Amino acid sequence: MRKSLTWLMVLGLVGTAQAGGLPTYQIDVSDGVFTPARLEVPAGQRFKIIVRNVGQGPIEFESTPLRVEKVLSPGAQSFVVVHPLKPGRYPFFDEFRMDLPEGEIIAR
Amino acid sequence: MGQALFIVWRESIEALLVVGILYAWLQRQPDNRLALRHLWAGVALGLTAAAALGAVMLLAGDWLNGSAGEWFQAGMTLCAALLILHMLAWMARHGRSLRGELEDQAGAALREGRYLGLMLLAALAIAREGSETVIFLYGIGARGDPSDLILGALSGLGLGLLCFHLLQRGSRVLGWQLFFRVSEVLLLLLGSAMLMAAMDRASGQLMALELSDYAYGLLGDALWDSSALLDDGSRAGMLIASLTGYRAMPSAFAVTGMALYWSLAWWLLRRPRRGLALAQAHA
Repeated sequence: MRKSLTWLMVLGLVGTAQAGGLPTYQIDVSDGVFTPARLEVPAGQRFKIIVRNVGQGPIEFESTPLRVEKVLSPGAQSFVVVHPLKPGRYPFFDEFRMDLPEGEIIAR
Repeated sequence: MGQALFIVWRESIEALLVVGILYAWLQRQPDNRLALRHLWAGVALGLTAAAALGAVMLLAGDWLNGSAGEWFQAGMTLCAALLILHMLAWMARHGRSLRGELEDQAGAALREGRYLGLMLLAALAIAREGSETVIFLYGIGARGDPSDLILGALSGLGLGLLCFHLLQRGSRVLGWQLFFRVSEVLLLLLGSAMLMAAMDRASGQLMALELSDYAYGLLGDALWDSSALLDDGSRAGMLIASLTGYRAMPSAFAVTGMALYWSLAWWLLRRPRRGLALAQAHA
């Protein structure tokens, strides 16, 4: 178990060094409210989203079709690199605030 | 309030099913004391780990959401998925009793390994989603009204205990054979959901690396699109996806992982049955 953990961390360090030069977008989440709530991206191309939690409470940024699930405490930020998308609409949620409207990524 | 209840329930249903089914099964076994002790130790370990992970998310969220943390979470989830298969194989082989193994001297070491597996599975299942529950409840608490936090936590816990109770009743009402089949399927689906979640995390990390276009294609491009049938972007679809591993637009990587998982499951669960049938024919 400890061995595989070390291994995972090594892999993780390799990962952090990469991922520059991609089209990058930023989404701010404040207690379930997304800014912007709608993002247009080119289809067929990888892109990076920086998610920042600018609200008071924690968020869970989640989208099954985008293959993303991230729990962020207040003030935390993280990024995801999304695979090249087919043209279409891809919704995302703050899973802790399912009562609020979803956001969407439109790939064209 | 209703929303808090739903979230606590949804975040804990996976762990409840895993622990509940294992408990119901162990209850049926003679000489189950040691195994049950391992199960409860796993539950305690899982609750501790959930609180610890929750604290890490809050205090060192950047690490956990960074690359290392993502791989750590993917690894943890993958371990849980594999442990489910391991446990199911064990349950299928000893559906009647643990005694067959107990009488076997050489099996003692193996048995110990199984008990550790049992403990680890319970712990991982609880730690994984439990940490999110911790964060969520912390969020409600931080928003101001602590009575909301207490109400949410208590009602979630109550609902959890109710599910647990229903599961134990179910094993009596449905009859053992049927209950065993149903729980086998439920655990297999949960394992598949965990594997898919682990693969999503892993491919998200690989996506961030400089790879060939071919590799991005394997990790990213959808092999098919069944969102017209069931859209995993909708709320209902998302819930189903999180409990079964369903994806409307799976990549080649995801489909391969799923194919391996289900073949392994089929192979593990099929062979012992044949062995059992053979043993019965001889008896």
